[in-house]
Amino acid sequence: MTLIIGIPSKGRLKEKTLEVFDRAGLAITLSDDPRNYRGQVEALADVEIALLSASEIARELSLGHIHLGVTGEDLVRENIPDWQEKASLVAALGFGHADVVVGVPEAWIDVDTMADLDDVAAEFRLRHGRRLRIATKYWRLTQGFFAGHGIAVYRIVESLGATEGAPAAGQADVIVDITSTGSTLKANQLKIVQDGVILRSEARLVASKVASWDENTTKLRNQVISAIQSA
Amino acid sequence: MPSDIATKLTRFFEARGCAMPEIAILQPADPFLETAGEDLRRRVFITENEFGASLCLRPEFTIPACLHHLASPVKLPRRYGYCGTVFRQHRKGSGEFLQAGIEDFGRSDAVEADIDCLADAHGALAACGVTKTTTILGDQAIFEAVVAALGLPQGWQTRLVRAFGNDDLLANYLQRLTSKKSVGSGTETTITPGLAGSISAGDVAAVEKEVAQAMEKARLPQTGGRTAVEIARRTIVKARLSSTRLDDAQAAALATFLAIDASAEDAGDALAQFERDHALDLGLAKSALLQQLDLLSERGLPLSTFRYKASFGRRLDYYTGLLFEIYGAGQDKPLAGGGRYDRLMTLLGSTSPIPAVGFSIWPERLAQGGRPK
Repeated sequence: MTLIIGIPSKGRLKEKTLEVFDRAGLAITLSDDPRNYRGQVEALADVEIALLSASEIARELSLGHIHLGVTGEDLVRENIPDWQEKASLVAALGFGHADVVVGVPEAWIDVDTMADLDDVAAEFRLRHGRRLRIATKYWRLTQGFFAGHGIAVYRIVESLGATEGAPAAGQADVIVDITSTGSTLKANQLKIVQDGVILRSEARLVASKVASWDENTTKLRNQVISAIQSA
Repeated sequence: MPSDIATKLTRFFEARGCAMPEIAILQPADPFLETAGEDLRRRVFITENEFGASLCLRPEFTIPACLHHLASPVKLPRRYGYCGTVFRQHRKGSGEFLQAGIEDFGRSDAVEADIDCLADAHGALAACGVTKTTTILGDQAIFEAVVAALGLPQGWQTRLVRAFGNDDLLANYLQRLTSKKSVGSGTETTITPGLAGSISAGDVAAVEKEVAQAMEKARLPQTGGRTAVEIARRTIVKARLSSTRLDDAQAAALATFLAIDASAEDAGDALAQFERDHALDLGLAKSALLQQLDLLSERGLPLSTFRYKASFGRRLDYYTGLLFEIYGAGQDKPLAGGGRYDRLMTLLGSTSPIPAVGFSIWPERLAQGGRPK
């Protein structure tokens, strides 16, 4: 059976992934036709490359439609329920760094830690007639992290872009969002809660646990993994 | 589920004076998420209608019973009974379970109402043939009395009370309260020397002015969220809290209290001993519990099968008093659980507080319950 590897279909993630595979001696050839979303690895005859969006890669891994994939750790942890049963994070690839963080307005000079946020959340309903609102597209990561800090009473407002603007727009009080340099947060007068870094994410080579693994695909998987790890 | 259990339970509830309202299977999701928290989101079956309103399959009956009462109020006190399917997501197995129980609204004699609730939970189990049980009792009010008697600042009292029922969180707070190094002072918030001076002087107006400027700069809305004065006040309170420490005697008292786990017959002695050893007075909270234990034996419930566990609580902000769980012989999941939740009706929109106590039974667990292993 052919081993299918999903790699990001555009942008910096795609370029960096191609570089890593190149360095690993697994140069990928893509068709000149930009509408062809398939590719090959010259060195390995039985490997097929599928170009997908990073979040599709996480989903396809969890469904076992692809064997390996390159995607952000944040997407694996956020988009796949019980991700440990579906996928394993194999190698950190050294690019696509981004932190998922809890951001609060700088004007909240009384909030430095998650314990402070716990106090604020607990009193919010009494003071304002509603629960504290958190804008995020990472609801699964947010829930797990807040529960770990014993914070139960808040509401998630789903945000599909420009999350950092939610407090000023009055849609939410705090945010959980991804940041690589913190500059977007800063520009919006938001600060990161001191113990509020939920995840330090980067691009990963991820293996599906639920794809069909026969002798050939298992052998190819081990070859690809060891080549990437020593690249 | 054996339908005869449903029949028996329904008959029992009606005999105990319960109205049995029709509760819709499809419920608005907001009241559940607002009260039980976002954690519930992954455990309920949630959907959206065409207009964007979130709906869920009922995950339990207490909140629907409260909403039913608020939508069509009748004279209080009033008891509602229910017996039907609830829907919860589980990794394995079915997402449908039966739940049955009673919610008792509006009684002013809380001590008696609590015991009626406990007795009815046992009565309902007995009506299904389950008589060999053990019951764990907890009491939020007694923990609150201990924390108040220790004389901690209000901010720390509310933190500890909030953590009651979550052993890890409580341990974490206690550690911070006893740790010699200061907490929460290393801050990336830039605080100018002038502002720091206003904070330590407790000058709310001056702190408020600085916060208001920062809010304006960030174009934060002036209404609907946290206000400058609220942030200023908490900043000042926090500065005081961060220097508060539990002394060794206070820490020892809290630890001793939380470790109390006594048979109901010995609970009074254990609490009296605790009061003597630590020179604390638990006042009304203790006498209410002791009165309840007396009432239990008057109702013919065998005290020897009840335990009082001081650390047993629920981390939901609407529980206020007695809590209990009833176990079948050799079972690790409760057959029934309940307690007093005087703050829930207000959270759900009642304009005046309505005292409430209730219990739920998991009928599917009865099949194994009460029988020796």
